[in-house]
Amino acid sequence: MELEVRGLTKQFGAVTAVTDVSFTAPAGMVTSLLGPNGSGKTTTLRAALGLVRPTAGAALIGGVPYQRLERPRRTVGALLDAAGFHPGRRARDHLRVLAAAAGLPDRRVDEVLDQVGLTASGSRRVRGFSLGMRQRLGLAAALLGQPGLLLLDEPANGLDPAGVAWLRGLLRDLAGQGRCVVVASHGLAEVAQTADRVVILSGGRLRFAGPLRELGVTGGALESAFLKLTAAPA
Amino acid sequence: MLRSELRKLTTVRAPWLLLAAGPLIVVAGVTGLVESGGNVRDPAVQAQALAHAGLAAIITLLFGILAVAGEYRQATITDTYLSFPARGRVIVAKLAVYGAVGAGAGLASCGVALAITAAWWTAKGAALHLSAAQTWLTLGGSAAANLAFAVIGVGLGALIRNLVAAVAAALAWIALVEGIAGQLLGSGLARLLPLHASEALDRTNILGAGRLLPQWGGAIALLGYAAAFAVAAALTTLRRDVT
Repeated sequence: MELEVRGLTKQFGAVTAVTDVSFTAPAGMVTSLLGPNGSGKTTTLRAALGLVRPTAGAALIGGVPYQRLERPRRTVGALLDAAGFHPGRRARDHLRVLAAAAGLPDRRVDEVLDQVGLTASGSRRVRGFSLGMRQRLGLAAALLGQPGLLLLDEPANGLDPAGVAWLRGLLRDLAGQGRCVVVASHGLAEVAQTADRVVILSGGRLRFAGPLRELGVTGGALESAFLKLTAAPA
Repeated sequence: MLRSELRKLTTVRAPWLLLAAGPLIVVAGVTGLVESGGNVRDPAVQAQALAHAGLAAIITLLFGILAVAGEYRQATITDTYLSFPARGRVIVAKLAVYGAVGAGAGLASCGVALAITAAWWTAKGAALHLSAAQTWLTLGGSAAANLAFAVIGVGLGALIRNLVAAVAAALAWIALVEGIAGQLLGSGLARLLPLHASEALDRTNILGAGRLLPQWGGAIALLGYAAAFAVAAALTTLRRDVT
């Protein structure tokens, strides 16, 4: 499974969020979608998920747009933000709703709760969850259908240092299993330690797409390359 | 899809607390009717008491609005559309599930209406006329009105995705707009309006309108509103970007 973004352009009214962006995220690798706030990372992910309709171009998952996937939940796992939970619903029930929608057995719910370390909190209502716990629950939802493609928007948000280290290991494992992992992020140090490939957006335009090593592998070198690539054109 | 919608409903408390208000309205309404001097020996008053089950439809209307607008408010709609990218089918599933639960709530309100009316009639030493055809037409129509308003709510909440705006629009229509619209349209057309149609269906006549549709006509008119809202939503708001 791979993600292919082709000439993607998205306008919201008078605002152009993404302009003619093309890149490919291959299977078996962690691809990091990097860029300053408002650079079009989230819009790109939402377009790939069929939530926003591209003005031009397309995002294809294994060659087809999201809307035409036969079993979307088992093909793509997404974590968009730590919202999207009914505050009065228990964590396990949130996942059971999604499992029913995807035709997955409830056994998977317990498996992913265990995988993200929420087994003990599964029967608590989400309103009492910290941001980090919500992120873990969102990750559990993304992993539920054992998808070949994972699209994660700022998954490290709200995680403590131990959680961030855990997440790094999880992403590496998922890519090691041959899955395509796409992570939108603005944490450069994280990217340097996790990503195989980097896609850099700025002002809705593509600035770079390629292997991380072409940018320099150490955090400091990545930062200077990032700042240079995302600087507003004169 | 239906199983997932059912699980959504059974795993939160808010919609059930809302639905519980239906039978409470019935109890309060029948009690008010008797206490304000309603003649329990008059068969028309008995029908009027039982018809309070139809008034509970305002609760199933709000319940239906929660189906889609509530999901937008909690942002769970994102997950719903990720599971089912065919958005129109999501609305159809919600119409089915919320219609069925709305009908169930209507039957519960009917049961409560019968029980509380029987209790008051006994207390006042009058006999309840259960054999009268009007009794069962009233109760059946009331249950149907609960179903119809639940599906109208689903359509309305899909069309007006902002929960507060959808609820405000529904309540404003009930409290104010239909009365004015009815006078402007004249009784021939006014009987097609939703509250007039629901009075035809549950055989109350609170508006005091001169002309109402036949009972079956009221049912068809209400389902027509639900279908019109749902189709309008499918053509407009459902296609919008989810950001």
